[in-house]
Amino acid sequence: MNGTWVVFRREVGQYFASPIAYLIAAALLLVTGLYFNADLTFSVGTKPAEPALIPLLLSFAMVFCAPLLTMRLLAEERREGTLELLLTAPVSDGAIVLGKFLSAWFYYTILLALTFIYQIILVSITQPDMGHTMAAYIGIWLYGGATLAVGILFSAITENQIVAAFLSIALLFILWMGELIGQIITNLELAEVVRQLTLIGHFTSSFAVGLIRAEDIAYYAGITALMLFIAIRVVESNRWR
Amino acid sequence: MIDVQNLSKTYGTFAAVDRLSFKAEAGEVVGLLGPNGAGKTTTMRMLTGFMPPSAGSARIAGYDILNDSLEVRRRVGYLPERVPVYPDMTVQGYIQFWANLRGVRDARRQTERVLESVHLLERRKTLIRNLSKGMRQRLGLAQALVHDPPVVILDEPTIGIDPQQVIEVRQSVRALGEKHTVLFSTHILSEAEQVCDRVIIINHGRILAQGTPATLRQQLQPGDHLYVQISGASSAAGQRLLAEIEGVQQVQPQGIGFHVRAAVRANLRGDIAQRVVQAGYQLEELRPVAMTLEDIFLDLLGREEGA
Ligand SMILES: Nc1ncnc2c1ncn2[C@@H]1O[C@H](COP(=O)(O)OP(=O)(O)OP(=O)(O)O)[C@@H](O)[C@H]1O
Ligand SMILES: [Mg+2]
Repeated sequence: MNGTWVVFRREVGQYFASPIAYLIAAALLLVTGLYFNADLTFSVGTKPAEPALIPLLLSFAMVFCAPLLTMRLLAEERREGTLELLLTAPVSDGAIVLGKFLSAWFYYTILLALTFIYQIILVSITQPDMGHTMAAYIGIWLYGGATLAVGILFSAITENQIVAAFLSIALLFILWMGELIGQIITNLELAEVVRQLTLIGHFTSSFAVGLIRAEDIAYYAGITALMLFIAIRVVESNRWR
Repeated sequence: MIDVQNLSKTYGTFAAVDRLSFKAEAGEVVGLLGPNGAGKTTTMRMLTGFMPPSAGSARIAGYDILNDSLEVRRRVGYLPERVPVYPDMTVQGYIQFWANLRGVRDARRQTERVLESVHLLERRKTLIRNLSKGMRQRLGLAQALVHDPPVVILDEPTIGIDPQQVIEVRQSVRALGEKHTVLFSTHILSEAEQVCDRVIIINHGRILAQGTPATLRQQLQPGDHLYVQISGASSAAGQRLLAEIEGVQQVQPQGIGFHVRAAVRANLRGDIAQRVVQAGYQLEELRPVAMTLEDIFLDLLGREEGA
């Protein structure tokens, strides 16, 4: 446990010293701000503001942001040789991977918290459905955790950060697009199975419409756990090379 | 403190380390000496718990490197060959990170203590990316010592730094022997000779010889080596005269005298003196030539390649 905490603290420090992390934060806030503004302008007098606007935007943005936030975490340690020191420290491989994952999730949580400013603006000018919004935020928080875990896995697989980012974007994009694939499959049951496997399939029709369902939570927790488990095995395999 | 038994590592069919066995007592400074590719780094990686051995075992401070890996890692300080650093951290942040990760209780104080000892305390706020190579090497050493481990393993700690710093690093390794058991690797013989209580010479993953520098020199010196200088005889005559003496294997001109290699036997020097005088020449000088470890090492490697 100590190991996880120490690694977590170092990585959080690195996020706040990393230009990439700030760029991603700036880009996310810019894009969400523009959309929020457009939604407000457009909604005035016609329909209520979309309660899950920001989480819906993030569900796509994380396909690119999660890999960029996580690509460094293990790939760099391997390239720089510091992994050799980490793996000879008296901590388990799991503690190292977990600490890194939690630091990424923590940084993401801060980004998410920053977007709350839009909700504060909404509350001050209208009466938004806050229950709906909160459900969507909880959903995108779990969703984000799963995408970051995918990013960590690919960061463990290669020592090249660009390759790691590229591969995780590819996988996340497939998981994201899955719903579209599901839509063109004529066999209904198969289409449903495909949908159930995708990241978006557990978000748009549940959290994003204000529903919190145990099965969706289990899905994201399961994906996260599975990705971290494989990542730990991959880190362990470094010892055999 | 370190007890290695038949330690082996194979990559596919290639044996990088081949049934290595040796011991190091508490407070001993042991040098692993070998040319490039001898298996030094591989051996150290197994001892530090980075990679498991393919066969054999080793105990460090009484703990098995495979079954009690975490206990071993707690008791070992390791400086890998390519000093691994986080360029974006400060000197102090870096050392404190390793102290915390290894569960050092008073991490802040220990960090300052160890930075003081490697003369980096004034630099503690500097980003590592701005350190010179020699400073980085000392930083790596500090990292290996911050948790005050009983066993310190250093992989070629003097590589790539200037001669002044090499001397300093050697002195600090030497000084470490007062409180720690030190295993360090090098391919520089004079270094092993200066720094180590005991030297283990390896090549192709196998031990060629081990012992104190002095005993190694004695044991491995094949026969007696003498320097003989004669006046009154031509060079050729002198050489012929010496070569005829019983037990002499080789006579080579060296400077104004000769380097004589002979089998070890009683009264060799007496005989040489007598023969020279009998032939009517004068013996100007007759003294033993100590082979350096360098010669022995090259000789050993040569013999191995020949075999
Ligand atoms: N991952 C690996 N896969 C295959 N062979 C390897 C691997 N790592 C090391 N080797 C081989 O094992 C042998 C021993 O390597 P090692 O790095 O232990 O040598 P060394 O004594 O440290 O040499 P140097 O002085 O160059 O550092 C070398 O022939 C090397 O090519
Ligand atoms: Mg080496």
